[in-house]
Amino acid sequence: MISQIAKKEMLEMRRDGRFQVASAIVLGLLLVSLGIGWQQYVSVNRQHEMARAETREQWLSQGKKNPHSAAHYGVYAFKPKSPLSLVDRGADQYTGVAVWLEAHKQNEFKYKPARDANTLARFGDLTASSVLQLLVPLLIILMSFSSFAGERESGTLRLLLSMGIAREKLALGKALGVAGGLGMLLVPAALIGSAALVLASDSGSFVANLPRLGWMTASYLLYFAAFVGISLTVSALAKSARLALVCLLGFWIFNGLAAPRLFSDVSRTVHRTPSSFAFSQRMDGELKKGFDGEALKKKVMAQYGVTSMEALPVNFLGISLKAGEDHGNEVYDKLYSELWDTFEAQNRLQQQGGVVAPLMAMRSVSMGLSGTDFAQFRDFSVAAEKYRRVLNDAMNDDLKNSPKTEGPYMADEKLWSKVPEFAYVMPEVNVVLGQQAWSLGLLVLWALGATGMAGWAATRRLRAE
Amino acid sequence: MLQAIGLSKSYGAQTALDGLNLEVKPGEIFCLLGANGAGKTTTINLFLNFIEPTSGLAKINGLDVASDALETKKYIAYIPEQVSLYKNLTGLENLDYFATLASGAAVEKSRLVGYLREVDLPSGAEDRKVSTYSKGMRQKIVIAIAMAKQAKALLLDEPTSGLDPKASNEFSQLIRKLAGNGTAILMATHDLFRAKEDGSRVGIMRQGRLRQVLNTDEFGHADLERIYLEHMHD
Ligand SMILES: Nc1ncnc2c1ncn2[C@@H]1O[C@H](COP(=O)(O)OP(=O)(O)OP(=O)(O)O)[C@@H](O)[C@H]1O
Ligand SMILES: [Mg+2]
Repeated sequence: MISQIAKKEMLEMRRDGRFQVASAIVLGLLLVSLGIGWQQYVSVNRQHEMARAETREQWLSQGKKNPHSAAHYGVYAFKPKSPLSLVDRGADQYTGVAVWLEAHKQNEFKYKPARDANTLARFGDLTASSVLQLLVPLLIILMSFSSFAGERESGTLRLLLSMGIAREKLALGKALGVAGGLGMLLVPAALIGSAALVLASDSGSFVANLPRLGWMTASYLLYFAAFVGISLTVSALAKSARLALVCLLGFWIFNGLAAPRLFSDVSRTVHRTPSSFAFSQRMDGELKKGFDGEALKKKVMAQYGVTSMEALPVNFLGISLKAGEDHGNEVYDKLYSELWDTFEAQNRLQQQGGVVAPLMAMRSVSMGLSGTDFAQFRDFSVAAEKYRRVLNDAMNDDLKNSPKTEGPYMADEKLWSKVPEFAYVMPEVNVVLGQQAWSLGLLVLWALGATGMAGWAATRRLRAE
Repeated sequence: MLQAIGLSKSYGAQTALDGLNLEVKPGEIFCLLGANGAGKTTTINLFLNFIEPTSGLAKINGLDVASDALETKKYIAYIPEQVSLYKNLTGLENLDYFATLASGAAVEKSRLVGYLREVDLPSGAEDRKVSTYSKGMRQKIVIAIAMAKQAKALLLDEPTSGLDPKASNEFSQLIRKLAGNGTAILMATHDLFRAKEDGSRVGIMRQGRLRQVLNTDEFGHADLERIYLEHMHD
């Protein structure tokens, strides 16, 4: 009986020209956005791969030079793009995906597509995630706002209810009808998307990303279920189909446009970040304070039990550079973790928005699982910074222990190859799920709450007229 | 089969139905007559449990419709005043859908087509979308739905309004046949002629009150019109 109701709903949708046009548009945009995502993913990955090989090659073949110059020569580190980033580009466009690692410098992020906009970026934010998060809910609303209200208005609801059908079955049938209609659209898109994922990733990374893909699918389904539930609830309660549509569009605008704007403004007001000018000014100020060179000399002489600098068995330059680097690191660590903690506080506050707007929860989960959220950007930056220090320490250590000769000391490939290549592994899915627990929980609550509400409204509040 | 006990419905100060006592036995056709706004549709809505009574009870097969909403609907079929179907589905698809929901299981196509022949829907029309139907054709589909339900009681709200004389006559024959098989029928109508022809009894309503109940074999056509008008004028 439930399946009969669902089938009839789908049959009506299929025969409704407006629905066909709307779903064709959404499907088209979804496929185009997946195509753009795929193109970007492949091209960025290819560039990374080439640049990675090149940067390593250049590092190894930089020839004989002083280790400190080598540290200044610098290397690039690349944030690996998860294949799922073709669904959700997240914050990558703004944070960048490559970092320049050089002595004395932290967080020189490069390749921010939002800045170096190419032709495709002109499509703005057309990503599969924005289609899924904004347009699919709109389609759900268009599919279901008249579910009950429209039947009541046309009078078929009277006939339907006189058949003696249990209302919970009616509600379930209608919900499944919407789900089926949505499935006609999303299943092909999901298959094409998965095919794109397989093509975009080597077999190993595809398998490695399956848990993320599974969780992502599940969380989008929860998000859609919430919208089906909300739409059916409003349709069952509203006096007319038109009123139901107006209410639902109001919620859609709040959820998709007003709430994100509101929470982002509020979070930036509550947790202020310094302007980049103010930040670098403060950074320069702190760095200029420097460290006490004379005190260091005394300390080192005492450590080696000598009374003059000339008598030191080691190259003081290496020690002093290391001390300078340490001091810089201290300043960087302090200022950057302050800055990043502020960003994180902003993000947390925005996630609270999921309580009133499911989009806020969905967006956070989607970026998290795509590996393009702020937390994973920070994780990558920390790893890159650690690597920079390993590299610099290796250079400074070598300099410190270098023989005291007349001319400048030169190291060669033997030293360069001692520094391992930078390798970053994305956090396990469990780590992401831990970070997203709050938002995932909210999505579950939205889905359960909204579908439960729809059941309640259809069984207890649905009037024949 | 159908029973109203002191059944009343008020909308604020407006009394739509005032202490209706009525019983329709199996095999009986009871016609409710009355001016617009007399309370006929209200009575039927109360039997369908679409509205709650202000006081009193509506019973179907001995069960209170308010407490056994789902069970009591199994015994009844209903033809609404405004006949509406799913426009984008064909007549046969509409019939199939409602018949399936009513019986809880799929109904064979041949049986469904049989009902459509019985209500005299032009052959070939069943595969056209309902949006291309005339009002009478839609009505015939709804009658076929009621027949497919094989209910013990029928609630009909002006079922022949808009039907051409031939169709209206055929409809009369149909419900007489159903009554002959033991179906209890409650029909609201403005058609005095049909009420006299088909009804076992007629009830004349005004302003929510059932003013008089007559056995149709105790008077002629002209008498009914006179009695009806008398009630409307005082
Ligand atoms: N939802 C409502 N709110 C307020 N008053 C109502 C409502 N429904 C019906 N009424 C009133 O109840 C009274 C009885 O209406 P009802 O529909 O039962 O009349 P009827 O006998 O079926 O008339 P008709 O021959 O025009 O179909 C009318 O006065 C009507 O205005
Ligand atoms: Mg009426």
